[in-house]
Amino acid sequence: MTLGRALLRLFPATFRKRHGVEFLQAIAQERARARTAGVLSSVRAVGSLTADAIAASARLRALQLCLAIHRRFDSGVPSLPPPAKRTNMDTVLQDLRYALRQYLRRPGFTAIAVLSLALAIGGNSLIYGMLDGFVFHPFPYPQPNRLVAIGVTFPKLSAETTYVEALSPLEYLDIRRARSFSRVGAFDLGNRNITGGEVPERVFTALLLDDLFPVIGLSPVLGRGFTRDELAPKGPPAAIISHRLWRTRFGGDRNILSRAIRINGQAASIVGVMPPGLVLIGTDLWLPWGGEPQSVPRNRRQYNVLARLAPGVSLAQANAELSAIAARVDQSERATFSEYENWRLTATPWAAALLRDIRPAAFILLGAVGLVLLIACANLTNLFLARSSTRQRELAVRLALGAGRWRLTRLLLTESVVLALAGGALGLAIAWLGLRSAGALIPGQFQTLGLEAGINMRVLGWSLMLALVSGLLVGLIPALNATRTDPHDSLKADTRTGGSRSGTRLRHTLIVAELALSVLLLLGAGLLMRSFLNIQHLDRGFESDGVLTMRLTLPRDRYPGDAAGAFFDRLSERIAALPGVRAVAAASQFPPSNVFDTQFSLERGQREERTLPTALITVASPAYFDTLDVPLLRGRRFTAMDRIDTPPIAIVNQAFAARYLQDREPIGQRLAIGSPDRERSWTTIVGVVADYRNNGLTQPTRPEIYIPVRQQTAWNQLFVLVRSESSAAGLLTIVRQTVSSLDPDQPVYFTQTMAEVLAASSFQQRLSAVLLGIFAAVALVLAAIGIYGVMSYSVSARTQEMGVRLAMGAQRRDVMWLVLGQVLKLSALGLALGVAALFLGVRALEGLLFDVRATDPMTIAIVTLILASVALVAAWSPASRAARVDPIEALRYE
Amino acid sequence: MARPKSLSVPVLHIMLVLADGARHGYAIKQEVDRRTKGAIRLGPGTLYEAIQRLEDGGLIEETAAREAEPSNGQEAQRRYYRLTDRGWMALRADLRTLGRLVDEARANPQLRKELA
Repeated sequence: MTLGRALLRLFPATFRKRHGVEFLQAIAQERARARTAGVLSSVRAVGSLTADAIAASARLRALQLCLAIHRRFDSGVPSLPPPAKRTNMDTVLQDLRYALRQYLRRPGFTAIAVLSLALAIGGNSLIYGMLDGFVFHPFPYPQPNRLVAIGVTFPKLSAETTYVEALSPLEYLDIRRARSFSRVGAFDLGNRNITGGEVPERVFTALLLDDLFPVIGLSPVLGRGFTRDELAPKGPPAAIISHRLWRTRFGGDRNILSRAIRINGQAASIVGVMPPGLVLIGTDLWLPWGGEPQSVPRNRRQYNVLARLAPGVSLAQANAELSAIAARVDQSERATFSEYENWRLTATPWAAALLRDIRPAAFILLGAVGLVLLIACANLTNLFLARSSTRQRELAVRLALGAGRWRLTRLLLTESVVLALAGGALGLAIAWLGLRSAGALIPGQFQTLGLEAGINMRVLGWSLMLALVSGLLVGLIPALNATRTDPHDSLKADTRTGGSRSGTRLRHTLIVAELALSVLLLLGAGLLMRSFLNIQHLDRGFESDGVLTMRLTLPRDRYPGDAAGAFFDRLSERIAALPGVRAVAAASQFPPSNVFDTQFSLERGQREERTLPTALITVASPAYFDTLDVPLLRGRRFTAMDRIDTPPIAIVNQAFAARYLQDREPIGQRLAIGSPDRERSWTTIVGVVADYRNNGLTQPTRPEIYIPVRQQTAWNQLFVLVRSESSAAGLLTIVRQTVSSLDPDQPVYFTQTMAEVLAASSFQQRLSAVLLGIFAAVALVLAAIGIYGVMSYSVSARTQEMGVRLAMGAQRRDVMWLVLGQVLKLSALGLALGVAALFLGVRALEGLLFDVRATDPMTIAIVTLILASVALVAAWSPASRAARVDPIEALRYE
Repeated sequence: MARPKSLSVPVLHIMLVLADGARHGYAIKQEVDRRTKGAIRLGPGTLYEAIQRLEDGGLIEETAAREAEPSNGQEAQRRYYRLTDRGWMALRADLRTLGRLVDEARANPQLRKELA
């Protein structure tokens, strides 16, 4: 390549095209001339030609770059052609283009604005998505609000209304007579072993009294529902399976209907597969219950009743009819079953009944993210206000050129809405990521419900609406403010940007509002955090470290009578012999959330009370208290000598002794377990153990009765608790092997460490504390940005004032404190308002708090400290800028 | 369109040459060399860069006329330039400014001799 061509490459394409040929000729001529003057001259020519080309090409390229930048940004004020010629759409498009250009020109401002809106709207979409998935639209059934669960309250037993495992078959028959319902169904929950593959599988099962699927409103995707025959007592064995089970266990086999399976060892045929949307408390297998309601005692309450409201019947009407039914039963049955006194039946939309535990937290979180959005809007309003005062001239020119006030308002609103929509889009992305990771925070109990939260059209619509509303909210005040200006004034004075008194007040009001809302969120997060920590450090009364739990259900046909108890004894012995195992126990339930309870009566000293005596009842093996490290206070533990043929004994907890035995010696007292309608034998109390949390971690301990595994035959389904020397989870494999060495057909299920169980039981506090903490942090950052922005603006507007102060002898420190003091004053006001708001809204939060009062001074003190430090940090740089003002510079223009 | 507020010295020379009639690039260079007796030597890069900027700025334009020089084979490929009206205006304005500068310099006794 010649020198000329190499040099030509340096130039831009336009140059090469226009001057390339002549440039090469010129280079050639120059070199030819130099050669005639000798070697030295020709070398020098190469150097100077090269230097010249480099310099010239650099200038040209720089110029082109400047031109390109100019062309992109030098839009100036768009001219406004006569309005008659333009349609509305043109105007909107023009405003949109202008708005986009405005934002591209100020990437910093745009980034802060979009990001803060994205965080706020994203938080809202996230919480709304969770609420939508778990609370508003948990079930994809037709008319889900007309599907109700029937709950029951027995004031004689407890004040609680229960919906799950709440009613007996005879009570179900009573309810079925109601005319308010077009269809009614009931089911019992259980577990069944499915065999016919390599490993036996334990499947969570619902046993249906009557055809439940039409009540829910779904029909099978494959096969059919149950026939009347199959649902009748002793009908032909038929099974319907969930979509999930069909896919996982049977590989989505379309010939499933002709395949033979064994359920609990009995041959059965699958007659249908339900659609994936059917979520029935996480069950995967549906069988006809196949019993006679009359053969089940009236108080065997373990059935769930669902009903669909008849067309035109309101929930209130249905409840009125249920009250009448309850009153009739009360009249006819109270003599035998005293708990019927004033009992109540309630119909509640099923989703609400199932999920009432998470509703309070969910709505508090929705309120909290709403506050975050308000803070973000206040912040942006401030940013826009500051910006619009620097745009006074532009707007004045537009007004002077004849733009209407409405036209300008629309332009400014378009700008803010564009920004909000961008924030909303980014926010949705944040929410999507959040929802994907929120799964980790939601414990098994809700995962088994089969509910899912995601971004659907409703969440999308909600986010879009929030973005539009925030956009309008943010743009409105600045737009009204800006278009009110007199163009004459604004055009005349162009250097002074100092805010008016009312403008300053507006900005300060917004800052105080932001701070107050942040304080509210911080206080809420702080209180929830403390509740969560309180629960974590609670004295539970039992030891959970290193305990592995699992459940086994022994089929009655192979383990009749005492055989189940004997199996658990043998299994415990084998497991106890394994290396690393410290203790093994079998029990029907374990803390912290015991559910099985019973009525009982004392032989002597039974007092007439408003409620009938009830207590939790736990079937436990001798090692139970050692395994959980629960101390024995009086009497003795169970031993291997306590058998079915020895006199029945029981151990009670302190709460039982205190509540029912008062000052009497508990040992030797006799009680009868079960409701008074049945023939019962006397059971002697032989020991008292210390209380532990048996009614959920946050509730007071309930009275509890323990009876030996080997003295009963009713329980064939027990948990095995294994306490290890080190890690609980590490034992799982070898424990499973031990079980299958005793009975290879015996599945082990519900395997969990006790730590996991505990974590799940306080998940609501943890989830709320984590989410509210995140929202409070976002709020605080937004408020800090707000303080920084407003203070920077006010410092730059007050440069002259600062100059005068300094010139008159003020110290730089004084000037700095002038700014910081103002911020502290605003913060104090925000703090006061935030605390006041907390006191007003404390009711909403109280249900989530544990062992901490909403007015906890410690939390308020910490929040004050955090707020003051954040406010000072945010104001520091504007304040030190104020202190660095050069009085001479500042006063030059006065 | 952006254009330099005042013309740089090489550019001023190029325009002065073009004020005498249309010329092609290399001819401009040779004429400037001649007139300044080699004091200002336009390299090919600077030359054509200046031409491009002047043309983009609307101060000179291409012309078909070749008044100053007879054409031969080589000249046929060359582009000829002349001043536009805007170019004349810019040149006059700049020369006036320079003239005032020189006048001011003349008012200084120590400089007067050099400018006589």
